[in-house]
Amino acid sequence: MWEQYEVPRSEGTRIHRIGSMLICVAVEMAGEGDLLSAMPMYDAALSLKKTTRKNVVSSVTLPPLDDPVWYKFFIDSSKHYELLPGYPQIPVCVRLKEAFSLPPGADLKGWIFSRIEARILVSGVELVSFPLAKPHKTLYGTPETGVICRYDEAQFLTSSEPMFESMLTDPGLVAHPVRLRNTSSTAVRVTELCIYGEQLSIFWTGARMQSERLSFVFGSSGVRMSLDGQGSLSPDWTTIAKPRVSGEERFIERSFELFKAMTRL
Amino acid sequence: MTETVTAAPEAVAKSQWILDLIPAESPLGRIFTIDTALKLTRVGISIVLGLLFVGLIMTVLKRITRKRLNARSGSLVVKLAQYLGFALIAINTLEAAEIDLSALLGAAGIAGVALGFAAQTSVSNFISGFFLMSEKTFTVGDVVTVDTTTGVVYSIDALSVKLRTFDNQLVRIPNETLIKTNVTNVTRFETRRLNVKITITHATDIEKARVLLFEAAEATEIVLRQPEPLFMIQGIGKDGVDLLFGVWLTNDDWVSGNNDIYAGIQKRFRAAGIEFAHATMTVYEKKAREPSVAGRSS
Repeated sequence: MWEQYEVPRSEGTRIHRIGSMLICVAVEMAGEGDLLSAMPMYDAALSLKKTTRKNVVSSVTLPPLDDPVWYKFFIDSSKHYELLPGYPQIPVCVRLKEAFSLPPGADLKGWIFSRIEARILVSGVELVSFPLAKPHKTLYGTPETGVICRYDEAQFLTSSEPMFESMLTDPGLVAHPVRLRNTSSTAVRVTELCIYGEQLSIFWTGARMQSERLSFVFGSSGVRMSLDGQGSLSPDWTTIAKPRVSGEERFIERSFELFKAMTRL
Repeated sequence: MTETVTAAPEAVAKSQWILDLIPAESPLGRIFTIDTALKLTRVGISIVLGLLFVGLIMTVLKRITRKRLNARSGSLVVKLAQYLGFALIAINTLEAAEIDLSALLGAAGIAGVALGFAAQTSVSNFISGFFLMSEKTFTVGDVVTVDTTTGVVYSIDALSVKLRTFDNQLVRIPNETLIKTNVTNVTRFETRRLNVKITITHATDIEKARVLLFEAAEATEIVLRQPEPLFMIQGIGKDGVDLLFGVWLTNDDWVSGNNDIYAGIQKRFRAAGIEFAHATMTVYEKKAREPSVAGRSS
């Protein structure tokens, strides 16, 4: 699924089905080069559950290519495009389906899943990125100092290994090994976890995805996310997405943003 | 024994022709002396060097302030440095011209009073600019409301703040006005609550209306999931039941959020047969009693 494809010059519109959504890709001639058109479809996929792969194109009613719902890009004479996973540009706030309390001094390891986006790249340059489900926004923190995030819901799994069965039914999910520590002197109620995807990689086995281990430290001054190593990876994992910024860069950037917000300079 | 030294007779001869050109006894000659020429040269040099120096300082200051301060603070610091620089050039030039500054001070005092009256507003605006700067109420790019004017802060200058209204007009607001009036910074925080105020008829099931409102918020992608929408019954009025439904939106999604949520609510209410209450008045008609004719005797 996450691989390189030939530009569909002679086959009409190509449809990639990822979980519950479709990504349609078509090509038009534009002078001496080509225009690549791409479009996400969220509702159509639900009615196609029992349709075979070959019949998907004929089962979906596509808007004409001059419809503004298509995202268009001049790709010159490139012959291939890549479909790769990536984290959203904004942080993802994963709301836990079952909130729980973390006593002082607790150190808990587990897993959560979050939904990634599908990126279309030509010659290594990202053209567009589509969320794999209708994207909702949320605020992590207070209205005064909160961060706007992509909304997601997941269950916190305390098993030593993630339940990959759920990932196989939805290939848009990436598993995050998580370590939660409460360094404060009071119990903390964990209701949501905010993930800065720009610091994370995606490791891929051909069927499932996983990120580095995330560490959430609940201190007296708030919560801090950092990377806590790679977690357990077998040799067949390959890195399919690299972090956009390093943890240090992110820390400096956040500190500067905080300083600016405090001083209004 | 005395020794006479004859100094460069040729040079003396060369400069002499200039003095010969304007006779020393003539009125022009009394003004245009070597001393005057030297003074003029000194004045010219002090102005040119002063301007170059101030220009250099300004360039460096602009670079520093652009990196470290916001546009508003930077502009004020640069302007202040510019005025100080010009004042220094003026003093230096007067000194170069060997004009007694103490004599000017008295005149400057009187001129200062006159200028103070004339520039009262400008000075007030300038000082107000510093207070505004220290308060940090808004910055360039923020959306602010001053009195009845709402717009994006276009520039913050020493004397005024310029707003670009949403219909693309430039409004200049003196800094003094901003100090005196209420200023609302609409986009200070990244999120805002959209307060939807609706009145439903007394006959409407409030719980049904509440469910539909939350459904409308849930269906609108750009409504924030957290903080959760607020539902409140504000009162039972004479026209109907007043409801407040508050949903949170990011500043970027404000316009489309308004459109989507209002349209969504109307669509759902219409489908469920819920009516918005309008101002109503119940009028009772009292029939006039007809005059009784019975018992009238002729």
